[in-house]
Amino acid sequence: MSDAPILKTAGLRARVTDEEIEILKGVDLEIRPGEIHAIMGPNGSGKSTLAKVLAGHPGYEVTGGSAFFDGQDLLELETDERARSGVFMAFQYPVAIPGVSIANFLRTALQARLEDGEELDLFDFQDILLERMELLEMSPSFAERAVNDGFSGGEKKRNEILQMAVLEPALAIMDETDSGLDIDALKVVARGVNTLQKERPEMAVLLITHYQRLLNYIQPDFVHVIVDGRIVRSGGPEVALSLEEGGYREYRQLQSTASAA
Amino acid sequence: MQAPAAGPLEGVTATINAAAVERLAGGEPDWLAERRWRAWEAYERTPIPTTRLEEWRYTDLSRTLDLDALSPAARGPGAISPDAWPPELRQAMREDWDAAGHIVEIDGRVVHADLTPEAAAQGVVLASLREAVRAHPDLLREHLAARAIPPDQGKFSALNAALWTDGTVLFVPRNVTLPLPVRITRWVSDPAAAYFTRTLVIGEDWSTLSVVEEILSPHFDEQAFFLSATEVVAGDNSTTHYASVQRMGLGAFHMALYRSLVGRDARTDSLHVTLGASTARLDLNSELAAPGAHSHILGLYFGSEDQHFDHCTSQNHAAPHATSDLLYKGALDDASGSVFRGIIRVSPGAQRTDAYQTNRNLLLSEEASAHALPNLEIEADDVRCSHGATVGQLEEEALFYLQSRGLSRRRAERLVVRGFLQDVLQRRPPGSVTEKVTRAIEEKLRAH
Repeated sequence: MSDAPILKTAGLRARVTDEEIEILKGVDLEIRPGEIHAIMGPNGSGKSTLAKVLAGHPGYEVTGGSAFFDGQDLLELETDERARSGVFMAFQYPVAIPGVSIANFLRTALQARLEDGEELDLFDFQDILLERMELLEMSPSFAERAVNDGFSGGEKKRNEILQMAVLEPALAIMDETDSGLDIDALKVVARGVNTLQKERPEMAVLLITHYQRLLNYIQPDFVHVIVDGRIVRSGGPEVALSLEEGGYREYRQLQSTASAA
Repeated sequence: MQAPAAGPLEGVTATINAAAVERLAGGEPDWLAERRWRAWEAYERTPIPTTRLEEWRYTDLSRTLDLDALSPAARGPGAISPDAWPPELRQAMREDWDAAGHIVEIDGRVVHADLTPEAAAQGVVLASLREAVRAHPDLLREHLAARAIPPDQGKFSALNAALWTDGTVLFVPRNVTLPLPVRITRWVSDPAAAYFTRTLVIGEDWSTLSVVEEILSPHFDEQAFFLSATEVVAGDNSTTHYASVQRMGLGAFHMALYRSLVGRDARTDSLHVTLGASTARLDLNSELAAPGAHSHILGLYFGSEDQHFDHCTSQNHAAPHATSDLLYKGALDDASGSVFRGIIRVSPGAQRTDAYQTNRNLLLSEEASAHALPNLEIEADDVRCSHGATVGQLEEEALFYLQSRGLSRRRAERLVVRGFLQDVLQRRPPGSVTEKVTRAIEEKLRAH
């Protein structure tokens, strides 16, 4: 794991588009291929904003710093270009697309990766989809349902994992994927991520989470604590464990002391 | 252009006049000639609807329809061999030839009719109206412009009943099931012409039938006007599927009158697709005439450029224990506009009615507009009725979701629109109509 970082941010600052207050106030992060990083933080700390900024959400604008993905300036790329270069974000609240089946959606997404004039082979696609669904222990009929339309919370997250499996990103960002999930659904998501990473060990994962419990099922290599738009502590899995005991209080105090100084 | 003066004789022009009725009625049996003349009188005494009328509020005929500039299409001779059909029409027919029978209508007259020998042997009739006047007068006498769309229903039902040149009659006897649809393909091509044709579909008790109609034309520099009237009489316990796909060119004004009379425990399913013409007006009515009747209505439209679509629907519950369900969805791009005016009417005796009505619009551009006006008129107390309508834009969050999977903004928009409209098609059995409409939607989407 001594390769060049797949993602490197330096002093990354961002705010909600057209609003004054910055949410990210200088985030430095380096993720190498194959590493699993967890970013933990209290509500309003900016952890979810970081995920959206990296994915290119139009509701946020970068006000300073840099972000490089696989050597490219990520901030210069449109959302779809980022996705095609290998960034994937599993949504906290996946959106329903009525009338569009998961299979059709994924076919369109794979087709979008091809050069103009190149056609996705439909039989190959079917094979890939079925094989991926088998790997994730999903019923083939799942792919015939309209994307997230009337899905339970757990089904939506499974759908995110399936997309991740088919699109094979270099960096998978899980934006509070564990929020609102019961323990069984949480295990399904964790098993999915673990399965995919085992299969493609070069895939880097960025887990954004409020709670430590997801990390019982996905073992991170690094844990970062984000408070008030800055990473205030980085370390190994033990950081998460200490959070479980002490919560975010000590970091908040640390932060207020820092701002007062 | 100046609005015509109020009062009778509105819409009577140098060519749309009593002489035109005379030309058609001359040589026809008395009962039919009389019917035309009665319709003509109704036409003369009915004023052209203006925007002061609620049902015409958003479609100003004084600006969109220039009757003075139109001449009724000549009746012309009979058959035209397929080699002489316009390539667009041949193409449309090739795409789904599989059928129990075909009718091809060119410029207001039927030029081809065929029916499988199996269906004919069971007593099924599929013929041009002109042929049916000779061969099946009793059938027409009972049903044509009489029960479902009598001439006194309005200016345009009168006009069609007075001046129809041809059309289709489909009759399916008691207990007979047509295994495949009957395909009616209609083509009009002359600018500055007015076309009046009719379709009469009769399914006797316990029959099962399906009709697929497609309406095509080139683009027009000068307005062409196509007024069609479709009467569906669904006997007790019958099942009727009807699908109509309008893909006329710009410059056309298509006005469609459609009415179904649904008998006891009968089921009618219909799909109405509006994609073409500069102005399209559809008056769609389902009459739940007997207990247990069921009507399922699907509608879909996709406007672009400056197309204007006006849909006026009614679900009339005249009998108890009947159900009706309407879903109309439309996407509007560029400067196109749509109107949906729907009403569920429940008569005093129509207890235990179940009736639903939904209209959803998706605006794809700043200049596009949609008026959604759902309505209920309920005079019974033991009913379940609901109506709903929405006008919305593409959701940014949905587009971001798709873009985050690698779809460009354009592809993402197209996928959302496709899904929005496909949702309607997915509610009916898959088949060649679905495929054809999907292809037509794709064509429109490519321009978005």
